[in-house]
Amino acid sequence: MKYITLKGRTIVQGCCKAEALVSTMPISFLGGVDPTNGKIIEKNHDLHGECVKDKALCFSHGHGSTVGSYMLYSLAKKNLAPKAIVNQTADPVVVVGAIIADIPMVDQVDIKRIKTGDIVEVDAYAGIIRILKTRES
Amino acid sequence: MYLTQEEERIYDGEYGWANQICMKILVRLGELFNATRLIPISSAHVAGVSYKTLGDAPAEFLQALAKADGKAKVRATLNPQSFDPEYLSRRLPKGICEKQLNILKQFEKMGFTRSLTCTPYYLEKPKRDSHLAWAESSAVVYANSVLGAWTNREGGPSALAAAIIGKTPDYGMHRAENRQPNILVDVKTSLRNESEFGALGIYLGKILEDKIPVIQGLNDVSEVKLKQLGAALATTGMVNMFYYKNTNIKANGIEKINVEAEDIKRTIENLPTASTEPDLVFVGCPHCSLNEIKQIANLIGNKKIRDDVEFWVCTSRYIKKKARKHVEKIEESGGHVLADTCAVVTWTDKLGIKIIMTNSAKTAYYAPTLNKAKTILAPLKKCLKTVLKG
Repeated sequence: MKYITLKGRTIVQGCCKAEALVSTMPISFLGGVDPTNGKIIEKNHDLHGECVKDKALCFSHGHGSTVGSYMLYSLAKKNLAPKAIVNQTADPVVVVGAIIADIPMVDQVDIKRIKTGDIVEVDAYAGIIRILKTRES
Repeated sequence: MYLTQEEERIYDGEYGWANQICMKILVRLGELFNATRLIPISSAHVAGVSYKTLGDAPAEFLQALAKADGKAKVRATLNPQSFDPEYLSRRLPKGICEKQLNILKQFEKMGFTRSLTCTPYYLEKPKRDSHLAWAESSAVVYANSVLGAWTNREGGPSALAAAIIGKTPDYGMHRAENRQPNILVDVKTSLRNESEFGALGIYLGKILEDKIPVIQGLNDVSEVKLKQLGAALATTGMVNMFYYKNTNIKANGIEKINVEAEDIKRTIENLPTASTEPDLVFVGCPHCSLNEIKQIANLIGNKKIRDDVEFWVCTSRYIKKKARKHVEKIEESGGHVLADTCAVVTWTDKLGIKIIMTNSAKTAYYAPTLNKAKTILAPLKKCLKTVLKG
């Protein structure tokens, strides 16, 4: 079986398998994600109401306050953090957050090719995303 | 990115988790922005100290870092916290004050200076051409533009990491080629007071994005006016630096824009302005200098503050001590000189404040969202006229 493989750049090393949660919009971790349950609460966000816990969270990039980095750390301490982060373009807030929370992270990935519900393997040693199972199949 | 053997050992964890995680932050950010190496800094200034803006999440990370013996290697200062121990702490719920004190305790354990100000340059002026890692956007613009020091606009965590490593990656504003002006701004009107300088900043920040302007035609380049201009520029834009003197700057062949009186007027009108009387008149965003406090005391003279309006003058503890004579005069009149904090980073809404009058365009811009208050932008003289009896 041949998987779809997307090449990116390693930001934080690690490897995991997870269900993808994909947004075309930026995410602000300060104010945009509820720190008590990991749900996205930013108004008018395409992932509004979705929970980031244990997901391979794919989005364009972060925005908003740099305090957002600490939010990722806090989510990780409560076991509410995503298993992996896949960005189109990494930005300082999410990069620092992924480092301190130790979440595998890859950027420069064409995230439009990943759909919410796909099972993906994020190999953040090689900087590769493999789509193991698409939602339809 | 090139790392020395020593830096690599820190990266690999030989000097413990705190140093390792901070080194990782600096190296990853450096790689992201094409830095070639780490350079020593003479100071770091950390934003994100107020419990109001931070919430609970950062306390956990700071605690872990302090527990793992994270220690600042260079002079490291802190932005304002969410209250002052003399006045506001008595009016705010005890629980939130304790959470603030815990955050402060972690920073102090790591060797940070309890400066609690957004104007660390009044405590110790950085040397011209020295490299810094400062967060707090108003101080970044002031350091680059007025003091001639070199700093990127750091985030809270990256300034913290730079403090603990004592270095920063050499990208962005740390390179001479990135400090060249690329737009000429000709101010065609005479700005009458510090609030109009702030309004110019709000206006330009929106249109300049991250460009570096040469601002010509300023009728007053006193430090207070430039402080207001810079703070407002950083509020609405990603501007990290501006030039205001015409010497030694080649402005030929770059884009040029004009600013007319109408642009300033419209900018002030577009700020969410209240039309009724304020509950609070606030001066000190960014924190007041010694001269500003002296000016306020002189303007008050022997008059008294109205009983139905609060008057806050915010500054650092260092300046408050230095200005003791003037502080006493302001407090005798019924005003409050608050150290360590400001209106934006405290819970004015919990104190029942709904309308804030201020001479700071930055506060006028932020308070509607951060304080759930309406604002009135007015120069210092008008602020005092409003708050004084008679």
